[in-house]
Amino acid sequence: MKGFLDYVPGNSFLHKLNPLTKLVLSLMICVACFISENHLLLVAIILLNLAIAKAAGILPRGLMLLKGLTKISLVIFLLQLLFIRGGDILITLPLNLLITERGVAMAFVIVFRLIGATMPLALMLSITQMNDLSNVLVTKLKIPYKYAFTLTTAMRFIPIFANEMSGIIEAQASRGVELDTRNIFKKIKFVLPLCVPLLITSVKKIEGSAISAEIRGFHLRTRESCYKGYPIKKSDVGVMFFSAFLVFSAIIVSGA
Amino acid sequence: MIRIENLTFKYRNSKKNALENIDLSIEDGDFIGIIGKSGAGKSTLTYVINGIIPHHYQGDYYGSVKIDGDDTFDKTPSELSLKIGSVLQDIDSQMVSSVVEDEILYGLENFSIPKDEVEPRLSSSLKELGISSLRYRTIDSLSGGQKQKVAIAAILALRPKMLLLDEPTSELDPKSSVQIFQLLRDLNKKHGITIIVVEQKIMLLSEFAEKLVVMSEGKIVFNGKVRDVMKHSSELERIGINCPRVVTLSNRLIDRGVDIGKVCINLDEAEAMARGLIHG
Repeated sequence: MKGFLDYVPGNSFLHKLNPLTKLVLSLMICVACFISENHLLLVAIILLNLAIAKAAGILPRGLMLLKGLTKISLVIFLLQLLFIRGGDILITLPLNLLITERGVAMAFVIVFRLIGATMPLALMLSITQMNDLSNVLVTKLKIPYKYAFTLTTAMRFIPIFANEMSGIIEAQASRGVELDTRNIFKKIKFVLPLCVPLLITSVKKIEGSAISAEIRGFHLRTRESCYKGYPIKKSDVGVMFFSAFLVFSAIIVSGA
Repeated sequence: MIRIENLTFKYRNSKKNALENIDLSIEDGDFIGIIGKSGAGKSTLTYVINGIIPHHYQGDYYGSVKIDGDDTFDKTPSELSLKIGSVLQDIDSQMVSSVVEDEILYGLENFSIPKDEVEPRLSSSLKELGISSLRYRTIDSLSGGQKQKVAIAAILALRPKMLLLDEPTSELDPKSSVQIFQLLRDLNKKHGITIIVVEQKIMLLSEFAEKLVVMSEGKIVFNGKVRDVMKHSSELERIGINCPRVVTLSNRLIDRGVDIGKVCINLDEAEAMARGLIHG
């Protein structure tokens, strides 16, 4: 999922929304996912995520995310399937393991939840510039700048570190390390030592970034320093109402 | 004006001094190149000038560094940066934003530059570096040379009197390297900005810088006009600095008693010298 958090420039309706609105929308989608245990609603939320990706012109990224999350979910699905017990027994397995009706239902709920709740935040970050997000957190939510900067810098560094790691992996592979092995344990054995160079370059980069911020007046910044304005427009209000409606629907459906 | 007096610095947990007995004066309007092999103390010298040492990196610090009379001990790097703008060696970690415009706005916002001044400063610094067309581009999509220009533009927007650059061409191809140095020369000549540049490519320094500071093992070995420093090509080679071939050639001719007048520091001068010798 290389580059899954990089900003994708665009002029879509979603790009133009206030960063706060995008943050609220993505958080409300997450909340709706956690409230609901209804499979259909959870699938609908995943489809909504894909529709958002399509509207923002980043459908390939949305599908890439979905694919990546599905792979991760497979392990979680298996674990939930084996460890949640309730209702009728569907299959009896060796070692006293059972697959029950509730186990299947909950495994699907948890997997759909995971996918539905993870996608919106990643999609939101793909269409929001970190500076805008940080400015909105400071000006609208009154979060101290140093915390907003820390948060946005941490998110900005994720793709940088991912690129760094793939560079290290490529360098090792070119020296004959069998990183493409299908044996997962062997792969872990090869990849773990690579965390050391990654850690060293990461610390170096973070230190460089800290120095860079320091020599450009980081400590002098105040809440009023922000140059750009972030007004809440009608479209933002509309999206916020939609977000509230989504949570409300989840509450109604889960109560039904 | 920068005055470094009797400065010795040792990083915490290090056994060796990174800088030893440094005395250096940099006048307003100078274009100074700092050269030396890896580990010579060049980057540490830039850190003591912009206040990163002692405010960010601690250690044993003796002596004084004054920027326009202000001791760097008493001013934070942020306060100093309005006088002396710094461009770090690792450009990627220097970038704090994802879009060019935001990168330039960052410093302006931090220093609370009046809002009516922000746009003129932003557009003029982009124009000065010839990158107005990159204003809305993402940093990731830029080439190494373009990123370097963005980094310089972000500092220039703060209108510093002095510009301190640590190996600005380390990841650039020869053409982009020359472009960056031409730009620095323009800033120096047109706007009188003092340029202090750490650089490994001696050819660029001999072409563009006016003065040269040569460092070895934390000490300043030579400090003077480029041509005067270049007279010591054999000593420079001994401490790991390969002089341009034209310098080595002209020094050898001088050593053998050939009257060529002065040490040639670039190809044009060498050509003129050769023509002079051939035509008598």
